[in-house]
Amino acid sequence: MSSSKTAQEKTNAWSKFVSFLSKLGFSPIGLVLLIIIAILPISSPYFQQEYIVRWLIMGAFMAAQSVAFDFTAGYINIVNFGFAALLGFGAYTSGILSNNTPFISVAPGLSPWISIWLGAIMAGFVGFILAVLTLRLRGIFAAVMAWFLGIALMGLINNLTSLTRGPLGMNPVKFLETTNNLPYFYIVFAMMIGIYIILKLVTRSHFGLAFKAIGQNLDAARASGINPTRYLVFNFTLSAFFAGLLGGFYAHFYGSLTPSTLMHTSKTVEILAIAYIGGRGSLWGGIAIAFPFVFFIEYLRSNFTDLPGLHLVIYGLLMIVVMIFYPNGFSGFVAWAKTKLDALFPKKAAS
Amino acid sequence: MAKDSITRPATQESLMTRIKDNLPIIIVSVFSIILFAAVYIKGGTSQIFNVFITGGMWALLAVGLALVFGVMNIPHFAHGESFMVGAYVAYFTFNPIREYLQQNPSKFIGIIAPFGAILVAGLAGAVLGVIIERGIFAPLRHRTKEGWVMNAFLLTVGISFVLTNGANLVLGPNFRGVPRYWDVDAVEIAGAYMSVDRLIAFGVSMLTIGVLWFFLRRTRIGRAIRAVSQDETGAQLVGINLNFIQTLTFSLATAMAAISGASLLFLFQAYPTVGATPLYYAWYVVMMAGLGNVAGAIIGGFIVALLQTSTQLFVAVSWTTVIPTAVMILVLLLAPSGIFGSDVKGVQEQ
Amino acid sequence: MTPMLELKNINASYDFLQVLWGVSLNVDKGELVALIGPNGAGKSTTLRTIIGLISPKSGEVLFNGKIINNMPVYQISRMGISYVSEKLNLFTAMSVQENLILGAFAIRDKEKQLATLAYIFELFPRLEERKNQLAGTMSGGERKMLAIARGMMSMPQLMLVDEPSLGLQPNLTRNVFDALLQLRDRGVTILLVEQNVNATLNFTDRAYILEQGKTVMSGPSKEIKANKHVRNAYMGI
Repeated sequence: MSSSKTAQEKTNAWSKFVSFLSKLGFSPIGLVLLIIIAILPISSPYFQQEYIVRWLIMGAFMAAQSVAFDFTAGYINIVNFGFAALLGFGAYTSGILSNNTPFISVAPGLSPWISIWLGAIMAGFVGFILAVLTLRLRGIFAAVMAWFLGIALMGLINNLTSLTRGPLGMNPVKFLETTNNLPYFYIVFAMMIGIYIILKLVTRSHFGLAFKAIGQNLDAARASGINPTRYLVFNFTLSAFFAGLLGGFYAHFYGSLTPSTLMHTSKTVEILAIAYIGGRGSLWGGIAIAFPFVFFIEYLRSNFTDLPGLHLVIYGLLMIVVMIFYPNGFSGFVAWAKTKLDALFPKKAAS
Repeated sequence: MAKDSITRPATQESLMTRIKDNLPIIIVSVFSIILFAAVYIKGGTSQIFNVFITGGMWALLAVGLALVFGVMNIPHFAHGESFMVGAYVAYFTFNPIREYLQQNPSKFIGIIAPFGAILVAGLAGAVLGVIIERGIFAPLRHRTKEGWVMNAFLLTVGISFVLTNGANLVLGPNFRGVPRYWDVDAVEIAGAYMSVDRLIAFGVSMLTIGVLWFFLRRTRIGRAIRAVSQDETGAQLVGINLNFIQTLTFSLATAMAAISGASLLFLFQAYPTVGATPLYYAWYVVMMAGLGNVAGAIIGGFIVALLQTSTQLFVAVSWTTVIPTAVMILVLLLAPSGIFGSDVKGVQEQ
Repeated sequence: MTPMLELKNINASYDFLQVLWGVSLNVDKGELVALIGPNGAGKSTTLRTIIGLISPKSGEVLFNGKIINNMPVYQISRMGISYVSEKLNLFTAMSVQENLILGAFAIRDKEKQLATLAYIFELFPRLEERKNQLAGTMSGGERKMLAIARGMMSMPQLMLVDEPSLGLQPNLTRNVFDALLQLRDRGVTILLVEQNVNATLNFTDRAYILEQGKTVMSGPSKEIKANKHVRNAYMGI
């Protein structure tokens, strides 16, 4: 009698835990995988292996970007084609504000830990402007507006050479004195988790419902009393804020910025590919795809040194295949697999 | 709509409404005239020629883009890659001949060879267009009904990605080019020195546009293409094979972009990402003129070239990625369906 | 003799909504047959299924004994069937003349095209007057005329006409019906969908009544016209 009671308690505690997790947007499997990723670099035999840490930093960086990107593309159904430019804008803002060298015309010398937030706010402001510009535009027109704005931003940064050194590039201070990359991994990993949780909670709120309604059918949403302006502006601003924040991370981690490598449309396309293959509207799909994506890059780079960019070709082909045949992406595949499994192994009803 | 065709007497009121309806065209025309005059005053005939030659370049590219928009309802993001393919094919066709000519000079071959390279590039572009259309767009058309425009757009983004990185993979990132096509001195026209290569490139683009125009207006198949862009169902009902027209149109557009890339090999050279700049200029033209508007694309090409040259003259070359783009943002904001109007079905602004 | 057009047990849907439930009908060569019924009964769907814009879920469409369902629209059109749709599907940015020439797209012979054009202009003199006018700027009645004329340019054996009187003033409706009669007299077989029951039953040979996707009645127009249910439901008597 007593053993069945503790079994009951155990299942209750477990289901409480699972439901708490899912409120934050994590499944038990997802949590386990994330924990593995988190402890990978400090567990032997991978202890502090340089290439592992680099891979994980890049993976988390791209994963976080794809979450912020999907927040717009997968919900209000607008492809923010200037995303990389927003990231770069935040990076440069943070780099300029934290500058204490004579190489550019101003040297406010703020701490990078502070300047990244200012960079994020500035990027959020640009996102706000972008939202206003695209207010009356839908679909392809909105995407093109974002694209043009991104081009203009990149050109602007390129031309304000006294502030940014233009194509010569800028070298912001790094976060930490150490040359060890490991702490940077935990910084960007924390950013990734934070961005994911915040955006997931927003999409679970009435904001998320409004986003989806606007994304599906703008007129119907308006007719139901949803004012698209508020939600469009909020979505773009928040997504841009996080893009800028991640740009700030990049600036003070990598320590070197050039407009064309950071803000070019092709960078947005990489994130777009990850988000789409991962599954639009899932937010977590991009995270699941980003880490293998980066691993693939590193693997191909070290083993096939005379085949540069092969990973990009493969990802491009994968994106095309996914878009034609599996438009729901990886997250859609997982959802489909779950329904199949549930059909095969129906859960017993709780007594 | 059952409108009665009663002619209204021309009144003051109708003039005002006519001005209001055509306001974008009027503003752009006035602006263009002012810029044109300013460029002539500051830069003289050589800069004016620059405007025309660059304009011809963008017009040729934009016409292909407008066709793909209008007939196939596809916002084509990989159009620049057709340019790149043309450049590469021209290089690999012409370069060996050039090296041969250095050992065995021949005036005749020297004149013919670049045209041959451009022609071969055009054919290669046509073939590439058929492959992409049959292989990628036709299957997608079967599978999508709604959301076609965005899906097709993203698909072209993927194609662009694959082609650019594929070229990088197979051919490497190095610039391949030729210093000039024709080994002759610059020609003086009305006080300005123009390189023969640039003049002939302009001639090629004008000729290609002219041939296309004649084809669209005066031939049976050209008429069919226009019919498909105006009413797809109507075209089917009169016995037009949509699949054939789609493939033909895409093939034509790709071929024209390839011809453009080939004829400008001496200027842009051939490398994997060479298509990026031509792509967004072509998009500027088409967004300004109106999606699917072929005639507008031709005029628009020259207007955008005017904008570009003005920026170069009055500000600096490096600002050509900012100022014309800012103008385009303004145009998108104020006249999203373009100044000449678009007749593209299924693409809505609001 | 095989009917020119046969529909055998057609089931057709728009996406997931089934519209036609086992529709069967025949049209013999030279007939002028009406397909009437209330709004939403599936009349337009029937015509669209015949011309191939819709693929039936089951059943067969036969033209001169040949199965044509699942053929692409352009092929069915080239076999000799013209469809004048409710929307007209005119090429609005092209002139009247260009629209008509496109109507004869499948006829490669230029001489033949021009001869047909001359003949059509004879039948529709108002169109000849406006031959350089853009189709999109014409009035409703003129556009209907143009759509029918364009359908004629391919010299079809069978014409499917969808609600030609819709939105037209009565005198224009008269013109349209007269044009159809003239076509029938010249040997064109016509299947006509109409809501204007009274007028339609006056000049057609036979009629089918379609209600909720099913053929509920068929027969010579005179008999249909005298039928009590028809008089009640469709002619307000």
